Amino acid sequence: MTGFTSWRLPAYASLAAAGVVAGLALGRVEPVALAAPFLLALVAAAAGHEPQVSVRLSLGRDRALEGDEVTATIELLSARDVDRFEFLVPLPPELSIEGGPARAVRLHADEEKTIELTLHCRRWGAFALGPLLVRARDVLGLRSWEGSAGEARRLRVYPSEETLRSLVAPLETQVFAGNQVSRARGEGIEFADLREWRPGDRLRRVNWRATALRRELWVNEQHLERNTDVVLFLDTFAEVRAEGRSTNDRAVRAAATLAHGYLERRDRVGLVGFGGFLSWLVPASGTRRLYAIVDTLLTSSIVLSYALRGVDVLPPRTLPPQALVLAITPLLDGRTAAALLDLRARGYDLIVVEVSPLELVMTDANSATGLAQRLWRLSREALRWRYEQVGVPVVTWDEGVPLAVPLEEVNAFRHLARPA
Amino acid sequence: MPGAALGTLLLVVALVFGGHGLGAALFLAGGTYVAAVVSAGNRIDASATLMAVLLLLCGELTAWSLDERWRIRPEESLAWRRGAAVSALALAGLAVAAFVIALSAVPSSHGLLLTVAGAAAAVGAAGSGIWVARR
Repeated sequence: MTGFTSWRLPAYASLAAAGVVAGLALGRVEPVALAAPFLLALVAAAAGHEPQVSVRLSLGRDRALEGDEVTATIELLSARDVDRFEFLVPLPPELSIEGGPARAVRLHADEEKTIELTLHCRRWGAFALGPLLVRARDVLGLRSWEGSAGEARRLRVYPSEETLRSLVAPLETQVFAGNQVSRARGEGIEFADLREWRPGDRLRRVNWRATALRRELWVNEQHLERNTDVVLFLDTFAEVRAEGRSTNDRAVRAAATLAHGYLERRDRVGLVGFGGFLSWLVPASGTRRLYAIVDTLLTSSIVLSYALRGVDVLPPRTLPPQALVLAITPLLDGRTAAALLDLRARGYDLIVVEVSPLELVMTDANSATGLAQRLWRLSREALRWRYEQVGVPVVTWDEGVPLAVPLEEVNAFRHLARPA
Repeated sequence: MPGAALGTLLLVVALVFGGHGLGAALFLAGGTYVAAVVSAGNRIDASATLMAVLLLLCGELTAWSLDERWRIRPEESLAWRRGAAVSALALAGLAVAAFVIALSAVPSSHGLLLTVAGAAAAVGAAGSGIWVARR
């Protein structure tokens, strides 16, 4: 720890010296009497000594959800009495502590003191808490010792998820068993068709009513249940942020919700973070994939970049054929638009969920700014039109609206207009 | 009076701007008092002890009020302890200042010795301030 003296000690020393010198020079005792208490304060300051305090920071858990509370425990042990020991837990803006992150306590020699703080997780992210900033002071605050102590502790705050009753069904299925009703026929649950009996058909598949009508054996055919491949395409080139809210926050929450929903029904889910910092996860299934996706989402942030990127920079296995690509984008950057149109041209089943930034943009009645905003909105409309022209459904997800609403719009669109 | 008024102004400035100017404020106040005492004649002013303690309390309470501006949640006992320490320092300062005033009543047959002691005290005061700052 580094020692510091109070800003008033030099003043006290100067006053004491000046008082004694003035007393000698003037031959009066009053200046010396004025100096005496300040000399005493200097003696009190000299009596202080550097403390030896061990500090340990621990967290009740290292994973939490948005809105959760986590207990942070600070254990202090000092070899000597410390009149005033202050510590500060450096916090990112996404976390807060009830009552503030700084505390001051008194420590007795060889007595362990435990302080519990309640951390409130306001937003998702991966954080490192610690080391603590500490300061020990004597009782009058004339001398202090400052430093850092304790080890950093990791905390992962996962994005909150919405409950979705239904998801967007991909147009094509894959070869593995899953929960998605496939167009292919075979052994399943959903009735597909009737056909004549062939050698090898099981007796329980015989449709006796049809058989009685046609006097030949007819069997039921069902739709196969297969899994699907879903790739969540997260646009991290740009965001709109205002008053602690941002389009990227909502996009990450949507991606976490969709990943959870699709993985629950045994689909394979992959992730592409397309922006200044490129990240990807090849589609896979299971709980491990969910944790991998969410951990990757925690580190997704907007990184300014002028690099021209296309989908050809992604490894081929990231975008398997016949996969459903769910793009979550605020439609701010032209590079994402170009990449998505490229994906559509390659034949991918593409859906665009637009995370609307309009609520975060202050409307201005001023003629010049208002005109610019109108032009900006028109350009966004034009971009949506381009997507729709190539058969890509674009749904707008406004703030405060459940994610299920735009997904239902997609289902309605696909029901009415079957993509090529 | 102008010195006292200026000292008061500097004290207000110190409170507003985080302690800057407090030393000058105390200097001005003490200097004004010494000037008044010297101009009043050779009689020893017994209120010097009270003046000394008031100056010290001015400095300590200013520092305490500035320390309380930090957003640090303290244990309840810490405020009481600091209050008790400031009070103890003030009382001890009062006693030492009174002792110094009382010593002035001692016959000055040891004038040279007292002068040397006073010079040593002045050097010691300045030196201790430097030593504490470097420690």
